[in-house]
Amino acid sequence: MSEAQHPSLVVDGLTTAFRVEGRWYDAIRDVSFSVAKNETLALVGESGCGKSITALSIMGLVPKANGRITAGRVLLDGRDLVPLDETEMEKIRGNAISMIFQEPMTSLNPVLPIGFQVAEALRYHTALAGEAARARALALLEHVKIPSAARRFDDYPHQFSGGMRQRVMIAIALACSPQIILADEPTTALDVTIQAQVLALLAELKSETGMAMIFITHNLGVVASIADRVAVMYAGDLIEIAPVEELFEHPMHPYTEALLSSIPRVDRDAGDLKPIAGQVPPITAMPSGCRYADRCPLRVPRCTKMPPLVALAVDPKHRVRCWVRAAEESANA
Amino acid sequence: MLIYIVKRLLVAVPTLLAVLTVVFFFVRIAPGDPTFIILGDQASQQAIAAVHHELGLDRPMLVQYLDFMSTVLQGDLGNSLVTHRPIWNEVANVLPYTIELTLSALFIGVVLGLPLGIAAARHRNETLDYAARIFSLLGLSFPAFVSAIMLLLAFAIELHWFPVISEARTGDPLSRVSALVLPAVNLGLIMVAYVMRVARSSMLGVLGEDYIRTARSKGVPARVVIWRHALGNALIPVVTVVGLYLGVLIGNSVLTEIVFNRPGLGKLIVNSLNQRDYTMLEGLMVIYAFIIVIVNLLTDLTYGLVDPRVRQR
Ligand SMILES: Nc1ncnc2c1ncn2[C@@H]1O[C@H](COP(=O)(O)OP(=O)(O)OP(=O)(O)O)[C@@H](O)[C@H]1O
Ligand code: SF4
Ligand SMILES: [Mg+2]
Repeated sequence: MSEAQHPSLVVDGLTTAFRVEGRWYDAIRDVSFSVAKNETLALVGESGCGKSITALSIMGLVPKANGRITAGRVLLDGRDLVPLDETEMEKIRGNAISMIFQEPMTSLNPVLPIGFQVAEALRYHTALAGEAARARALALLEHVKIPSAARRFDDYPHQFSGGMRQRVMIAIALACSPQIILADEPTTALDVTIQAQVLALLAELKSETGMAMIFITHNLGVVASIADRVAVMYAGDLIEIAPVEELFEHPMHPYTEALLSSIPRVDRDAGDLKPIAGQVPPITAMPSGCRYADRCPLRVPRCTKMPPLVALAVDPKHRVRCWVRAAEESANA
Repeated sequence: MLIYIVKRLLVAVPTLLAVLTVVFFFVRIAPGDPTFIILGDQASQQAIAAVHHELGLDRPMLVQYLDFMSTVLQGDLGNSLVTHRPIWNEVANVLPYTIELTLSALFIGVVLGLPLGIAAARHRNETLDYAARIFSLLGLSFPAFVSAIMLLLAFAIELHWFPVISEARTGDPLSRVSALVLPAVNLGLIMVAYVMRVARSSMLGVLGEDYIRTARSKGVPARVVIWRHALGNALIPVVTVVGLYLGVLIGNSVLTEIVFNRPGLGKLIVNSLNQRDYTMLEGLMVIYAFIIVIVNLLTDLTYGLVDPRVRQR
């Protein structure tokens, strides 16, 4: 399961910028990681730190009106997706890479029957058409455990609950057995009990198919149960990445430490990452050095002058982006 | 869908009754006694009473009202005060011309306005979008009769492509069509402006929706995303505007019919106003009420076709 073995997807130096009032600002900057077949990488961080933009950049779905990828590569089996044009990306989306979105209530088209929306995912990537596509779509809906799927095939999204709609989204994403699935907070909008069901379904489907998954979440409790490795983002930077146990036991970046110490106890409500003082700066007002400097208890003068480089921790699978901690590591080594 | 249609029909009936009631009282309350028009203002008390009796105006209001409603609902609009011919015959003579004009304008408006609006939305803030927006602004602010006169000057008087004096009434289908082109284009261009404007803005809204991103994330080709996923949703406000604008269109057709000298409801109205044909005006108001109710009904039914959430209500 090491990322070196079979990297299904390699993200390398990915930088995506948005134009705000005539100027371009990086929303994510120099993001690098990889995911292997069968592996789940959790992408965590506070709201606004660039998790969704990372996923959309991989999909080639950054809104064209004011956004673009300015640097970096997204390698799928060694092939760079960034320079591909729209027609070529259409062949990859929903086929080799799928995405599940956060908001099940608005992510399905309200004027098309759900069965049609599932079958449509097959139509453009497989030879299936007409009755065969319908039969396969129905099988998919049954697979994601939509009750009486046959009867509900021609129903519209507004006739389904949030949890059921998210199951439909999962069926759509799985339709062409993608190599990798990007799940952007797929359960955040759901009730707690429904969340657990949908997570269980995703885990089950993933172990059946052996696909890779990038699971974006706020919820560190979910991370512990679903992820193999964890990447932590802060203000558009990927600041730490490590196998899940390693990260929970030996967090290195001060932001990761703060996140972990803010996890609610089991006896309290499972919850969001919030209680660190201060907030993520907006992309239009990023500090020039380390973007966490304002909130960081370990800050040294160098931190505000230069953005920290990525450094390996003792374990080569553990990388961190911090002047102080990287220096400590190399001193220890 | 069937239940939805039945429900809409059931709602249309009381609406129609209400509108007819308004027409009835509007005509009674409006100042001026029609008998003076018939008899002149020197008429004797006796003559006035006789005409009142003949028109049934001496009966109690409630009786008049019930009588009005029952005859109207039987399709009897009474006779013209001026020609003494049945109003329904006069209307039926010209109604096809108004309908063909309105429908051609509607057709032009939708067939040009919709794709233009969609293209403008897809190429937002590009040349095409600016051009389309300027055109729509012109179309919305230009009075219909001015553009009618300009069309006549250019295409009939200068270029002789179309007749100046309409021959709409001839039996020859070709000359009927050629008489229709300019007036239909005149009204149609305004319709294009309206449809383009809403199509553009509702398309822009829809293109930012999550489900469009979902469709793209499935690898659905851009063309299909636009025409199936986006348009299906963007049509809903367009239907509203087309429905509302059909009413305006009928109003605009009055001026257009006069400029192009076409037979039609518009000309009939103006003539009966000039001649103070009071029963004719009442009949025409009833006809308009019917038309508006039917247009609303069609609009509602179109909603049902476009939006599953509506038809399952
Ligand atoms: N279209 C856009 N134009 C300008 N800025 C944008 C745009 N989309 C995102 N951003 C900015 O990019 C940054 C990262 O946004 P992103 O949606 O990736 O955050 P996130 O980590 O997914 O947060 P959340 O947990 O709230 O979903 C934010 O500061 C956001 O304001
Ligand atoms: S680089 Fe400096 S400011 Fe940034 S996290 Fe490390 S110690 Fe804190
Ligand atoms: Mg997000």
